[in-house]
Amino acid sequence: MEANEILVIAMFLSFIALLFTGFPVAWVLGGIGIIFAFVGQWADANLDTFTGLDFLTLGLVVNRLWKIMDNWILVALPMFIFMGIMLDKSGVAEKLMHSMQELFGRVRGGLAVTVTAIGIILAASTGIIGASVVLLAVMSLPAMTRQGYAMPLALGTIASAGTLGILIPPSIMLVIMADQLALSVGDLFMGAVAPGLMLGALYIIYILGYGLLRPAAAPVPADARPVTLAVLFNVLRAVLPTLLLILVVLGSIFTGIATPTEASGVGALGATLLAVYNRKFSLQVLKDVVAGTTNTTAYIFAIFIGASCFALVLRELGGDELIESFLTGLPFGPYGIIFFILAVIFLLGFFLDWIEITLIVLPLLAPVISALDIAIDGYGVVDNPQLVWFVMLVAMALQTSFLTPPVGFALFYLKGVCPPGVKLTEIYRGVIPFIVLQLIGLLVLVFVPELVLWLPAKAYG
Amino acid sequence: MHDNNKLPAVALSDRIDSAIRRLTLGIGWCYVLLVLVIMLQVVLRKGFSHGLIALEELQWHLYAVGVMFGLAYAQTTDSHVRVDLFHAAFKTRTKRIIEILGILFLLLPFIAVIFIHSLDFVADSWRINESSSAPSGLPWRWLIKSAIPLTMALLALAVLSRLYREAVLLVRGE
Amino acid sequence: ADKVLLKTPVAFGTNLPALGTTITWVADHLDKVSDGRIRMKVYEPGKLVSPPEILDAVSSGKVNSGYATAGYWQGKIPAAALFSAVPFGPEAGEYMAWLYYGNGLKLYQEMYDSAGYNVHVLPCAILSPETSGWFSKPIEKPEDLEGLNMRFFGLGASVMEKLGVGTVQIPGGEIFGALEKGAIDATEFSQPAIDTRLGLNKIVKYNYFPGWHQQATIFELLINKDTWGEMTPGQQATLETTCMASVTNSIAEGEAMQFPVMADAKKNGVEIRYWNQQMLDTFEEKWNEVVAEKSAEDPFFKKVWDDLSQFRAGYDLWESNAFLPRKQAN
Ligand code: NA
Ligand code: NA
Repeated sequence: MEANEILVIAMFLSFIALLFTGFPVAWVLGGIGIIFAFVGQWADANLDTFTGLDFLTLGLVVNRLWKIMDNWILVALPMFIFMGIMLDKSGVAEKLMHSMQELFGRVRGGLAVTVTAIGIILAASTGIIGASVVLLAVMSLPAMTRQGYAMPLALGTIASAGTLGILIPPSIMLVIMADQLALSVGDLFMGAVAPGLMLGALYIIYILGYGLLRPAAAPVPADARPVTLAVLFNVLRAVLPTLLLILVVLGSIFTGIATPTEASGVGALGATLLAVYNRKFSLQVLKDVVAGTTNTTAYIFAIFIGASCFALVLRELGGDELIESFLTGLPFGPYGIIFFILAVIFLLGFFLDWIEITLIVLPLLAPVISALDIAIDGYGVVDNPQLVWFVMLVAMALQTSFLTPPVGFALFYLKGVCPPGVKLTEIYRGVIPFIVLQLIGLLVLVFVPELVLWLPAKAYG
Repeated sequence: MHDNNKLPAVALSDRIDSAIRRLTLGIGWCYVLLVLVIMLQVVLRKGFSHGLIALEELQWHLYAVGVMFGLAYAQTTDSHVRVDLFHAAFKTRTKRIIEILGILFLLLPFIAVIFIHSLDFVADSWRINESSSAPSGLPWRWLIKSAIPLTMALLALAVLSRLYREAVLLVRGE
Repeated sequence: ADKVLLKTPVAFGTNLPALGTTITWVADHLDKVSDGRIRMKVYEPGKLVSPPEILDAVSSGKVNSGYATAGYWQGKIPAAALFSAVPFGPEAGEYMAWLYYGNGLKLYQEMYDSAGYNVHVLPCAILSPETSGWFSKPIEKPEDLEGLNMRFFGLGASVMEKLGVGTVQIPGGEIFGALEKGAIDATEFSQPAIDTRLGLNKIVKYNYFPGWHQQATIFELLINKDTWGEMTPGQQATLETTCMASVTNSIAEGEAMQFPVMADAKKNGVEIRYWNQQMLDTFEEKWNEVVAEKSAEDPFFKKVWDDLSQFRAGYDLWESNAFLPRKQAN
């Protein structure tokens, strides 16, 4: 093994080791980058390497940071965050839950299905996992406990439904992936619709099936009322404004009235108007939303900036070539390589979250995938169909990273709002079936690429 | 919203943090402004079929300001994402030592590199009076570029405040 | 220096014909011609640094070389665009004549020196004419342009602005997305062979010629001056000669690869149009206004422009007598 390959591996290992000290991820990334730049310089002087790294080359971090600032695609990110937090404050989601519970009240597992359905709606209006999970938990966990749901089922339902937002558009993850790989955001958004809905459907089927097999785990409430026209009307009235907002945001991207950036602005304004409509708006609410947006955007971008430094130094050390040659040299054939990559991403997802994986790993993988000889039909409309399909596979694999222990952000958010009696192991146990469902979904996607590519082809054909 | 893990009080650090929070939250209103600018652009472009390149650029200027100043805010609220799998089980004393070492050997060097190199970066832009490369874009590119050293200095201040807090608490044995 | 490794971030992906492939050719040949004493490692756009940051990165020594086109720096140095492509400007032959045997190259280096950039510049490729742009509707008269949002590069952008077009200079990879979302209504990017790669023909069908804004485009290899100074005269000459060879290679490649693609596009329903005389006159008239304004704003721009104009005025006598008339498209 050559000296610079050892340095690359050492860099990765130090990163993982320091992650577990609990020091902020962003700063571990940045700091490791700086340290290994000097290690590279030392190696140039003392070992047989030619990295060219030194204090001067580290200055590229500033140019890279500037390109993060000077980026009109990423403007959508704080706007979607703004929208998500405002929706949370507007009381819309709470209303939704109330009325939909009435609609499904008499079905076994109806409440859990309701949670999933609202998860899908939340996912389609924003994509802030933290907000979705917390929201769903606060609203539904007490109700599910009261009805006597088995704790793991309740917890798993909430965590998985809350994570749908990262796949179903609008999605920050897809915006960033499009930016990283120079793909069309529109293609990715449209491509994610069917896979996202498929996951939602799988969850619902599982919940209903589980309720049939284990009636004790998902009991029917004693006081359930029959679904009357009045109930139906109530549901409609509660859901309509939110549906309208979703329609406006997605519709304006879909029809080309607005770019994703503009749609995100429309969404932020729309959520604010919903808050006004529900009489939940005040200066204090706006202040809270501003503070929340500032905070959330900042800690996500801190990871960008740190990852940018990490990736720069990794590349100069020759990490690109190492990973690329390793992956293309695998004796597996194209699909074997795809499975191997997905397995690696799935495993990385145990320890890292999607931001780091996306920013560090995805650009390294793009040339590998382009070099594979897999014919994927873009219907003559979708550019780079092979890459779009692959990105969707990665997106779905990454979605599981929110749920996989030990480091799963959805689990952490959930633990944060659960009653003190709920143990982390209970949450772990609850999400396992849903992780399996996601892997099934992933498998379907590998062999049915049409699920990804048909909609964008129709939308832009 | 992420204010849940309040840090134990240390007078000097508390004062510095609250000053930073006031400043950065004030600047955070640029996100509200951003919503309005986007809406204005949508109306101009769709209503009067004449979008303005300058407004397009103003959007990412506002976003950049919000993001960069936000870094220091998130530092004072202790919201930067941590992998707290083992961290949660560490003794308080161990946590403090990790925080101090991390700040000294990972975070401060990182900030220092960006700060030092950004000075030349901004100076170059100022020297040639850089403007947008689009003919009707915004002038004074050095102004938005100077957000880099400025926010890095602010972040360094927030970090030093945290360092002082941890050191004092460590000595006190809290 | 005994051995030089040029770390070269580039402005265009090396998968793009002409825009990107030329630098791969240079890297391959440098290695062979120098017997391995000059090696060039090419970094795809954004891997180390994104295209607009290349000049700064090379000048400050963060990387020791970079490959781009000077029009990228027009926000930093107004005259830079004149060394990239000039509207109603010289074709490749005349452009090279001015660069190598007129004052062009001297002024090119002087531009970076006087703006305080620590770089040595070598022209390292020259591209064939570009197309004038892709539109969703026929453009028959100047009014048809009013209110369009268009991606446009370099000095031509100012001309389009005068005709009521809002211009942006977004990178190649983002054009398709912007078009399909309606963020822009029309775009100019490069030559037929390259535009087709981006899939522009899928969204907008009217492809206009001639590319009055870019009859020839120069690409430059920037080398940090300290790195340049440390090279032996032999290494310097190797770089210069390889870049000159690349200029030949690039124009030959560019001239060879357009017509099959155009024939294909035509078959797939692309309308290939030639600007009518009224449009061409309008573009030229507006360009004259733009160049007068730019000359008034920036003394160095004026200096370069005057020198180029003087050279071209002299060249006219030769040009108008030496060449056969061209066949017109329609
Ligand atoms: Na979403
Ligand atoms: Na995980």
